[in-house]
Amino acid sequence: MGRYDKWLIIVTLLLVLFGALMIYSTTSVVTPVLAKKGVTEFYYFKRHIFTILIGFCFMLLAYTLKPSFIKKMAIPLLIISSVLLILVFIPDIGVAAGGAKRWIRLWPSTFQPSELVKLSMVIFLAWYMSLPGYKPDNFLTFIKPVFIMIVFQIAILKQPDFGAAISLAFLTFAMLFLSGIRLRYLVSLMVLAIPFVLKLTMEPYRLRRITSFLNPWEDPRGSGFQLVQSFIALGSGGLTGVGIGSSKQKLSYLPESHTDFIFSIIGEEFGFIGVSVIIVLFLILFIKGISAANKARDRFVYYLATGISLMISLQALINFAVATGMVPTKGLPLPFISYGGSSLLVNMAAVGILLNISKGEDERKVPDTDKEILARRRARRTVYGIKR
Amino acid sequence: MNRKRAIIFNTAIICSFFLVFLRLADLMIFNHERLSEKAEQQHIKIEDMQVRRGMIFDRRGREFALNLELESLYCDPENFLYNKEDITKLASIISKEPEVIISKIPGEGRFAWVERKLEPVTAERVRKLDIKGLGFVPEAKRFYPKEELASHIIGAVGIDNQALEGIELKYDKYLKTAGGKVFFGRDAAGRILSSGVDIESKGNNLVLTIDEVLQRIVEKELDKAILKWRAKAATAIMMDPFTGEILALANRPAYNPNRTGVASNPEKRNRAITDCYEPGSTFKTIIGVAALEEKIVNPDTLFDVSEGSIKVGGKVIRDVHKNEIITFMEVIQKSSNVGSIMIGLKLGKDRIYKYSKLLGIGEKTGIDLPGEVSGWIHPPERWSGTSIGAISIGQEVAMTPLQMLRVYSVVANGGFLVRPHIVSEIVSPDGNVIMSFEGKDINRVISEKTAVRFKEILKRVVGEGGTGRSASVNGNEVAGKTGTAQIVNPETRRYSKEKYVSSFVGFIPADNPKLAIIVVIYEPKGQIYGGVVAAPVFREIANQALSYLNVPMEDDFLQKPAILVSR
Repeated sequence: MGRYDKWLIIVTLLLVLFGALMIYSTTSVVTPVLAKKGVTEFYYFKRHIFTILIGFCFMLLAYTLKPSFIKKMAIPLLIISSVLLILVFIPDIGVAAGGAKRWIRLWPSTFQPSELVKLSMVIFLAWYMSLPGYKPDNFLTFIKPVFIMIVFQIAILKQPDFGAAISLAFLTFAMLFLSGIRLRYLVSLMVLAIPFVLKLTMEPYRLRRITSFLNPWEDPRGSGFQLVQSFIALGSGGLTGVGIGSSKQKLSYLPESHTDFIFSIIGEEFGFIGVSVIIVLFLILFIKGISAANKARDRFVYYLATGISLMISLQALINFAVATGMVPTKGLPLPFISYGGSSLLVNMAAVGILLNISKGEDERKVPDTDKEILARRRARRTVYGIKR
Repeated sequence: MNRKRAIIFNTAIICSFFLVFLRLADLMIFNHERLSEKAEQQHIKIEDMQVRRGMIFDRRGREFALNLELESLYCDPENFLYNKEDITKLASIISKEPEVIISKIPGEGRFAWVERKLEPVTAERVRKLDIKGLGFVPEAKRFYPKEELASHIIGAVGIDNQALEGIELKYDKYLKTAGGKVFFGRDAAGRILSSGVDIESKGNNLVLTIDEVLQRIVEKELDKAILKWRAKAATAIMMDPFTGEILALANRPAYNPNRTGVASNPEKRNRAITDCYEPGSTFKTIIGVAALEEKIVNPDTLFDVSEGSIKVGGKVIRDVHKNEIITFMEVIQKSSNVGSIMIGLKLGKDRIYKYSKLLGIGEKTGIDLPGEVSGWIHPPERWSGTSIGAISIGQEVAMTPLQMLRVYSVVANGGFLVRPHIVSEIVSPDGNVIMSFEGKDINRVISEKTAVRFKEILKRVVGEGGTGRSASVNGNEVAGKTGTAQIVNPETRRYSKEKYVSSFVGFIPADNPKLAIIVVIYEPKGQIYGGVVAAPVFREIANQALSYLNVPMEDDFLQKPAILVSR
């Protein structure tokens, strides 16, 4: 009969509101050309606020869902996600922009199914790994979810959305790793994946992106442009930043300044202190998510809470690492902050689920009992013991 | 569930967050200065735009060159969506072919000019089209309100306000805005967000010695002469013979400096200083002055020219009209070639050369306009047998019209070689005179006595029995000399039988000279003689100029206060 973890809601609220502020900051400078098209200084801001309001509804809705219901929904959700992912490729429903088909038409806006796929995958994996017959040291057990992941990967890469594919792979591997899957399976799969990754990176623009992060200054006007601009934004922010709304880099120097690279603009306007606050907020969210997972007695709930925490934290980490040039550049939004409705809605719904779990009252709602869990753990230890 | 793995994994995640921290500290604190500098470099654009070049005024403060604030259209190729309909519309508004516009838009990059310096009305129409990826930047356009008037003096600038010709080029360093730099804050597309205070900086203004009214008179009369004689080209210069101030300087053909792009090279040539011609009889003044100064002759010395021809170095040179025994004065008055050669032979090579050099032949006058040539007279050791005869009548020697005008100014002002100039003052934007050119470089080259005596002779040229009668002006006495010279045909390298240069050079009023004027008509058709072709042009110019300047008439029968009849 615990209360939900109020830190989760406070941190989420802070991130979302700060995000709205940054969306206004990065999109309020309207060029005359855009202005004549009806884009006002509040155009993006209004849409973002609207999304946030819907996001809160989603959060509330998800909060009311019992984990047992979510568990039942694991397979249907996976199917819905795959259908949506296929719809992207159907003309009149799918929306293409910038050479990629990532969205489906959804009045009055668009929806990006790959965001939903991540959450569906987390729920599916949590369900799968909590099945009584789940054997972490069985190759067949390991290969089934990997196969599903690969199917999704192919669809997502077809869009193409390299960033989403990578983050889905990270997420799946992380969860499988946590479930105790034999390391040799994971390692050998990664080795097998290398030729595929290499083949994908042979696409010239991706190869350039990948190599340019090592030294973006080599070609600051070409392949290193975005990263150099990101560095300049962060660097000119210094310790305290240039002040809210005073970013120069957002004036179309830094591409994607209101989506994938919004973190750099935060750095420019609020300085090292500002970005530190953002990182700390994500860190709190991660720790609180993990502690909610640890409260869980049910394996499904444990994996679900861990998966959601990882989904958000890994994406944030990758986004930070991209903006600071620690990993190759790929397009991934910063959860709760970047402009883009799908990511915001899915992440807020995920936090809703996490909030419910954080109440720590799942044990009576699921059939597993403490004894059963303990018995299974003991059994596994013996297996390991024998093996060793 | 695997607790051990969970602990390892979660620790790894938290460590990654700290790695990001360290990286950010490196970028934002330790590299702060370096990256801020980079940011400033790309945010602030230093444009070498001559937004407010100095203005150019005539001696009475009339504007000859000023600046218009216009807008230039650029394209941001990254945001520009290729749309044939848009391009066609745009093309019709800025009166260009669609292909031309397409060729100006590169496939990549963020900035490319489409059309510079559009008229406000055109810019507004383009703006109404509302094409994504197009934008405007304000730019100043140099504007010459007098158009063709004085185009060879004022000159022109290019699209980036870079000096091309004339005063604009010669005085570029003064006309340019201080530092020549304008600061713009800009976004990646080059859109100007704010501009530094330097946009208000102004160049120095120039005040010229020319007078718009006199310039108009000269140009109008040149136009008439070109039309009347179907001449190839023409030049006229009006100068103050005492100070060397150029009051008017014009050439035909001319061009409109507002449209330098369509001007041809002959139109842009400032023939008054960049073209040499063999002067012909007007050169006899140099021979005459030298002879008087050397006391070889006096005005009454007699010359027997009754043969009508003279043989020099095996070549026979004839007079146009046959004369009997005439005085030195009459040699000049009637422009006798034979008499002139006789004087030249008396003087000898060395003295002819010495006086030519003294009077500025073969040397630049030093006028403050670009492109002046020095002309030439060969040193005596290079003269052939016939040279002394040819040079005595003004062939085999090349001069610019300005050089010739300066020679006559020496006679007019009593023996001083002036330095022609066209800028009288350079004035800073706040009104301080930076430089002033009055009374500079004036040296005596001949005695006053010689000058006065020769002036009397030149008066006779325009008087009864002279070759320049048609240059005489009602009410004021003119002193001057006609010239008709042959042109060397570049193909045959011999003197052409059809092509001549007709000229008249003189000053007025003869005894109190206010204006020294030279009129040179290149290749007139029908008539060739300077007395017929160029002298009437001189008269028309002088007549109107004197009444504009309110110079009282000298004649007894017209001594009423100046009545301006022939404005």
